[in-house]
Amino acid sequence: MSVIDEDEALIAAALAGSPHAWEKLVKRYESRVFNQGLRLMGNPSDAMDLLQEVFLGVYRNLHRFRGDAKFSSWLFRIAHNKAIDLSRRKRLLAGTPPNAEGEADPLESVPADRQQEPEISLMHSELNQRIVERLSQLPLAQRLVVELKVFQSMTFEEIADMQDISENTAKTRFYAALKKLKQTTEDEHVLS
Amino acid sequence: MSCPKTVHLLQEYFSDSLSVQAGAEFDKHLAQCGECRAELDTLLLTRQELLSWQEQRVPHWDRGLELFKREHAAEPPATGWFGRWQWAPTAASFAMLCLLLLNTSVSVSDSGFEIAFGGSAERAEIDRSLATFEAQQLAEIESLIRRFEARQDSNNVQLLQAVMEQTQQSTAESLDRIYAYFEEQRLRDLQDMQLGYQQLADSDYATLRSLQELAQFVSYRESAR
Repeated sequence: MSVIDEDEALIAAALAGSPHAWEKLVKRYESRVFNQGLRLMGNPSDAMDLLQEVFLGVYRNLHRFRGDAKFSSWLFRIAHNKAIDLSRRKRLLAGTPPNAEGEADPLESVPADRQQEPEISLMHSELNQRIVERLSQLPLAQRLVVELKVFQSMTFEEIADMQDISENTAKTRFYAALKKLKQTTEDEHVLS
Repeated sequence: MSCPKTVHLLQEYFSDSLSVQAGAEFDKHLAQCGECRAELDTLLLTRQELLSWQEQRVPHWDRGLELFKREHAAEPPATGWFGRWQWAPTAASFAMLCLLLLNTSVSVSDSGFEIAFGGSAERAEIDRSLATFEAQQLAEIESLIRRFEARQDSNNVQLLQAVMEQTQQSTAESLDRIYAYFEEQRLRDLQDMQLGYQQLADSDYATLRSLQELAQFVSYRESAR
């Protein structure tokens, strides 16, 4: 049985009321969603919040999943939207003002200040911590494109479709993000 | 960065569908432009560093199972042992009602136990005794009535004979004697009636005594088992 068939079988069983099927379905994807949350949100606490919100969203909308797309694509689209929502809420709670141009779109907002992320040090490895610190320097829009392109191996066409932007915009954001990350790395080397 | 092609070329390099022609042009430019080559190398290195991400384990969480079970519960969950046996008192009451309605009796003996519906053998024996007693009573009453009727007939015949004799001497004296004779007959009838009822009461008392003895015997047999 393929992964897709297994997903569909588990979804059918979960919709029929099987807690075991639901748990198995969650287990298949929770690690990917959690690690995506770590990279996008920057700390384990917010990553757990994102994880719970994503699967709550999946649970509430599972009956609407028709199987037209892969379950994983559907799930990560939910995760993508929930990450944006959570970032927006965090920004509002922190009282962070819009960016210099008065742009209210959280995707264009400046990255969070690392001083406001005490739990960032709870990363399991120094390597992961370094990656998260670098990613946290990016605006959320660029972080999302990096996440989808590098870690989720999506095409620019798929990224453009998910974010409702043009392919060129997606490419530009990705290139700008890599340049920024490269610059951050070089700055770290100079400081050290 | 002085090369005007760097941005455009590198954006295309990371594109998903770099054509063969574009790839050839890109390779040709890289061979000539050290700046673009160095830029590409650092970007590839940056991407490679990102891919060195180590998957972290998910902290323990309930995976939404509580919510799932709560919302998919077809029936309210039983609250422990007591909750599963809440129907027991109702069932016991119903069983007791059935036992009473069906007049169920359980007899335990050395050979086991016996469950009977509608009364036991002793009860049937009592019913038979009562039926016999009722038949005896009816027979005695009928016999008494027949004797009373026979005596009345005899008295009436004597009375008629006396009247016939007296009518030949229809005087006030003879009428008085007739009246006295009727009065004497009435008193004798009353005495006979009293005697008959006394006999009947004696018979009933004897029957009740026999029934009481029978009930005591049945009770003794049940207690002996």
